[in-house]
Amino acid sequence: MYSGGNASSLPLVGGSSEPTIKDLSKPGRRAFNYPKLDVPEEKIEHNCIKVEKAPLPEVSEHDLVMHFSRLAHRNFAVDLGFYPLGSCTMKYNPRFADWVASLSGFSNLHPATPGKYSQGSLEILYKLEEYLKNITGMDNASFQPPAGASGELTGLLIIKEYLNNNNMSNKKNIIVPDSAHGTNPASAKMAGFDVVEVATDINGLVDVDELKKLVDENTAGLMLTNPNTGGLFEEDILEISKIIHDVDGLLYYDGANLNAIVGVSRPGDMGFDIVHSNLHKTFATPHGGGGPGSGPVAVKEFLREYLPGPIVIKDNDNYEWYQPKYSIGRMHGYHGNFLVALRALAYMMLLGKEGLDSLGSYAVLNARYLASKVSSTIPLAYEKPCMHEFVATVKELKKTNKIKAYDVGKALLDRGFHSPTIYFPLIVEEALMFEPTETQTVDTLDDLAETLSIIINELINSTESFENYPKNLPVGRPNELIPAKHLTVNWGDFELLEITE
Amino acid sequence: MYVPHSDVDLKKIFKELSIKSLNELFSHIPKELILNDGLDLPDSISELEAIEYFEDISNKNKANLICFAGGGHYDVFLPHTVKTLTMRPEFMTSYTPYQAEISQGVLQALFEFQSLVCDLTEMELANASLYDGATSIAEAISVAINKTKRDNVVISEGLHPNNKKVIDTLIDKNKFKLDYIELENYIFPESYTFTDKDAAFVVSYPHFEGTAQDLTALVSSAKEKGVVTICYVDPTLLGILKTPGNMGFDIVVAEGQSIGTPLSFGGPTVGWFATKKEYARLVPGRIIGESRDSNNNKTYVMTLRAREQDIRREKASSNICTNQTLNAIGSAIHLSWLGPEGIYTMGYQAMQKANYMKNLLTKSNIQVLNKETSIREFLINVDKNVDEVIDHLGNNGYLAGIKYSDNQLLIAVTEKRTKKEIDKYVELLNEVVNV
Repeated sequence: MYSGGNASSLPLVGGSSEPTIKDLSKPGRRAFNYPKLDVPEEKIEHNCIKVEKAPLPEVSEHDLVMHFSRLAHRNFAVDLGFYPLGSCTMKYNPRFADWVASLSGFSNLHPATPGKYSQGSLEILYKLEEYLKNITGMDNASFQPPAGASGELTGLLIIKEYLNNNNMSNKKNIIVPDSAHGTNPASAKMAGFDVVEVATDINGLVDVDELKKLVDENTAGLMLTNPNTGGLFEEDILEISKIIHDVDGLLYYDGANLNAIVGVSRPGDMGFDIVHSNLHKTFATPHGGGGPGSGPVAVKEFLREYLPGPIVIKDNDNYEWYQPKYSIGRMHGYHGNFLVALRALAYMMLLGKEGLDSLGSYAVLNARYLASKVSSTIPLAYEKPCMHEFVATVKELKKTNKIKAYDVGKALLDRGFHSPTIYFPLIVEEALMFEPTETQTVDTLDDLAETLSIIINELINSTESFENYPKNLPVGRPNELIPAKHLTVNWGDFELLEITE
Repeated sequence: MYVPHSDVDLKKIFKELSIKSLNELFSHIPKELILNDGLDLPDSISELEAIEYFEDISNKNKANLICFAGGGHYDVFLPHTVKTLTMRPEFMTSYTPYQAEISQGVLQALFEFQSLVCDLTEMELANASLYDGATSIAEAISVAINKTKRDNVVISEGLHPNNKKVIDTLIDKNKFKLDYIELENYIFPESYTFTDKDAAFVVSYPHFEGTAQDLTALVSSAKEKGVVTICYVDPTLLGILKTPGNMGFDIVVAEGQSIGTPLSFGGPTVGWFATKKEYARLVPGRIIGESRDSNNNKTYVMTLRAREQDIRREKASSNICTNQTLNAIGSAIHLSWLGPEGIYTMGYQAMQKANYMKNLLTKSNIQVLNKETSIREFLINVDKNVDEVIDHLGNNGYLAGIKYSDNQLLIAVTEKRTKKEIDKYVELLNEVVNV
């Protein structure tokens, strides 16, 4: 099948390992190039100045370019093939946004540039805030949080400060579903709250009866993604919201799964008081091999003065920085990941009303279609209709044929597809979580479903060890114990280990 | 837009799902939560129209001001080689290297980043990046608190004010005491006495004001009391200055913008975090390790994963997940481009040019407050309100620096500044100061 969705060219260069840049270093080679010193040179005495040179590699520019290009060859990417990594929204990243971010008016601006000389950047943040407010149903936003986890911490610090200011500092408990992203409990802990876990029912939704039992006068708030990490819409969200608000707790929306509901429904209308958005997921900014992201936090009016500051306000035609009155402080050295925010705005403007109105619908459509196709090979974890992602499970195949989620993921790599997210959410055994996003063609979705069925058949009938998968890639399964045990985290460490053992 | 489906495709999908419209996908959502009229947003614009729109807005910034502002973010020369390599789509459009077999590129690049950071700072273990310099300091303080189980943090006042605000926000003041110590004549008091209640000693090198201080003796007296020593360093000066590792620091953090990333209005940049191996299990964020695959081929993997939030949840060493990988790769490429001679030249020229500027200012009777002890960034006294100075230079094409107080200005010089620019700056400054 020629879907165009799998990275059939991988590995472009298999075989031998790529040396490190240090291995390539030869004394006297250089890539750098600077003008000659144009001021009178003086002997400068200072007790911090050293004599020896820094031990960096010495390579030519061509060596440098070849090395990092060859490293790039050894990496899967959205630009190469289908990346159905659940919870990460690996959609196509428009090239146009990269061009916008490269404009020197934006990229060469020093962060300490006064407001009067940075009106363009302030206008970008103001404009993006307008879009975000509208999409999420909130009233004000701060762009300081550089990633989703930082957004979560921001939201929790806002809750804490708000409760303190309103004489409710007794409230120490943050309720988090057992299906939540690990960042939720980790952030709650960092903010100084106690984490209370609420169970998921057999349908994959928050167990409302249990929630009622857990909620009391010490409940500070609830963190929730909707749809949740099982890809299911929390249908009782209005009741959940009432339960929390009835005890004066606040509702925090983890925007990891916002892509499912853009143009369909809004967290603000569901009763959420604070929302973070992952611009790198929902609004198509490149994930950069693990970052940068951007996790702006939007709040309802009554929490505006708690936002990390400064935030941008508009006064006639002038944009200004404003410091919120009870601000929790700062989440970033300056204004957050500005160029990521800028890319997100470019994406939103190209999509416009029409594109954003239907964004969630197409994301859900693709997931529903893929779920339907995949379910004939691997059963889904839940019966309820999925939103933008779904969870399948191979727990039966594990019992019958010792096939684990891990093995399925590795076998998919061989066929030019990225693995779905595996072993998450933690509450589903042998979970495989697929998120196709709205930018994949139906042919690619068919291709993945068909490939899965071929792989499962192959694994069922295989006489060899699953450890041999993947077979077609630059490297096979890594030994994960060596670096954890011996801390081979720096060049030279491994060679040293080989000599000593 | 970017939804690839033709009518034929949609027909096929609708048939598979037995639906007739997109609305049917949401029949299980409470009706009152459905947006019936969609969002209240402007219509889409074409790419061609958007080009004009964004060019216009970018021109509302005065990004072409000749930059004498620093404070951690420096206008250094960023070669095209570094920019274009960093923007390789395989680096740009991949995510966290969960699947090692198809992520060797990002993994090896990050491993090289970690190793380069260690070599440059003389430390043993670096992580694969944090958000920025400011948040890296706060993460380092958390490590110190976890390591020592003590609750007092000794922090030098000589940090960027924003960095102090980030520390104040991220470290729980109800549980821990943040003890800010004033500099004396831009030097952290050498006679400072640490106690066994101190978890950490946090100091910037050079100080925010630009003075570089040999911290060896202070580090040694802090360590005698079991205090974890944390150095926030300007990485572009490590080609000419004694390293934090050499001075004995336990943890080194840095704002890595000036190595591999454009100024970017402050973000995305990258936080560097390096330490000693004994701290490995307390380190925040991802760490890449070297291993072997089943055929004994060199293979890189994410390691010590049990520290991280997706596994340890509320017991994790930090909540960080998405980090600044692309900027870290940029740092690795830029450091490789620089080499030992390049990073030396970068620092040496900055220092020489700053020295030239300080002499010129002194000749014009403008007081340089830390002339002898500063390296590339220094404080001056002006008789006028600093805002007036910034305005006058701004109107003439110069970003004068960072306002330090009502009549003190912090000026940074990089290798990129020319004699002509420096001469003109001093001339403009004279115009406004001596009116």
